[in-house]
Amino acid sequence: MSTAHRPSDDTLAAFAGGHLDEGLALAVAAHVELNSESRRLVQEFQAVQGALLDRIEPVAMARGVPDPSGQKPANNPIAARPPAEPDMPNVLRPYAFGPWRPIGIRVAMRRIEVPGAQARVFMLRAGPGIALPHHKHTGFEWTTILSGAYEHEYGRYAAGDFDEADAGHDHTPRVDPVEGCTCLVAMTGNVLFQGWLGRLLQPLVRL
Amino acid sequence: MVAAFALTVEDMREALAAAPGGRFFALFDANALIAAIARSGDRDAFAELFDHFAPRVKGLLMRGGTSAELAEEIAQETLLTVWRKAALFDPAKANASTWIATIARNRRIDIARREARSRLSQVYEILDEDGPEQPDETISGAERDARIRAAMTGLSADQYRVVELAFLEEFSHQDVAKRLAIPLGTVKSRLRLALSHLRGKLEDLR
Repeated sequence: MSTAHRPSDDTLAAFAGGHLDEGLALAVAAHVELNSESRRLVQEFQAVQGALLDRIEPVAMARGVPDPSGQKPANNPIAARPPAEPDMPNVLRPYAFGPWRPIGIRVAMRRIEVPGAQARVFMLRAGPGIALPHHKHTGFEWTTILSGAYEHEYGRYAAGDFDEADAGHDHTPRVDPVEGCTCLVAMTGNVLFQGWLGRLLQPLVRL
Repeated sequence: MVAAFALTVEDMREALAAAPGGRFFALFDANALIAAIARSGDRDAFAELFDHFAPRVKGLLMRGGTSAELAEEIAQETLLTVWRKAALFDPAKANASTWIATIARNRRIDIARREARSRLSQVYEILDEDGPEQPDETISGAERDARIRAAMTGLSADQYRVVELAFLEEFSHQDVAKRLAIPLGTVKSRLRLALSHLRGKLEDLR
């Protein structure tokens, strides 16, 4: 796992603060689950919020202390939904998945239903050695690699890595020739494929 | 230093009871109050915890741009969640303020994104609860929290404000389109600077 391929500090701060779009947050969460350094930073950023809470100017409550007697004790209410995929990150468990569907030769995607998200979220699986056509983004494309690896102009991305491509990034990903690659992608805006192959694919690939 | 004055806690309580402004912060023990709620559903402990934290949660949310009315509702819900989850609080994992701040964040998401049927607070709970412990995570959460506080005292007023902005405000990231409209100018570079300053301090303290 490379150390460089992690979200920027301001992205992790926005994640820790709960200010990211739910789709983008999910891509970050999958990475945080897999990467101990980012997890530590998120914990530290949560502690920053604790420190901010201690130093904030209190604002008087309009209503008084509520009656807590009707409240039942909580016993960790995490959705016990079984994983849709064997190696799927736990953070995806609260969500419903669509079926795998092919979007090209040895490339398949599986949509994840994230209600209220602006970003579309999906798992993408590509066979060994596949080269995706050169493409450009009009929005964000945040990717966490779940297994295998790919490589493009900005480096090699392996399991647990985070690829934070903002608007304007263009790249030509090539999938690892042995392992292939499965990743979780959150995307806003559109993907613009380039070149004759890309223009041919464009109508087929509604990511 | 305090011991040199040879004051008993009772002396201090008396002195403070006589002083205007009421409770002295150092005598407020959030961990003990949460433990009392977990142990015996102590309503007085809950009231004391509520009086301390609810106005702060409300203040924190309002600083982030939440309306007073919504901030009030989220603060109420946050403290009721503290009541329900008191038995799950582990002071070795995080201090009470950090724990309550994360509950407030999750309740804010639940309430603000209620209509969207958001599941994001479950995602945070999964990360908080079953993130595998790493062998290099040698310091306790309580220690980490103390270090963060030390790091934050090193921030200038200006940097502190920018850190607040990064963590509290529904700023650029909330609406991606809005973010794109923000020039990559002063706000972002100052934000990066303040965060890297904070990060540098944290690394010194590790």
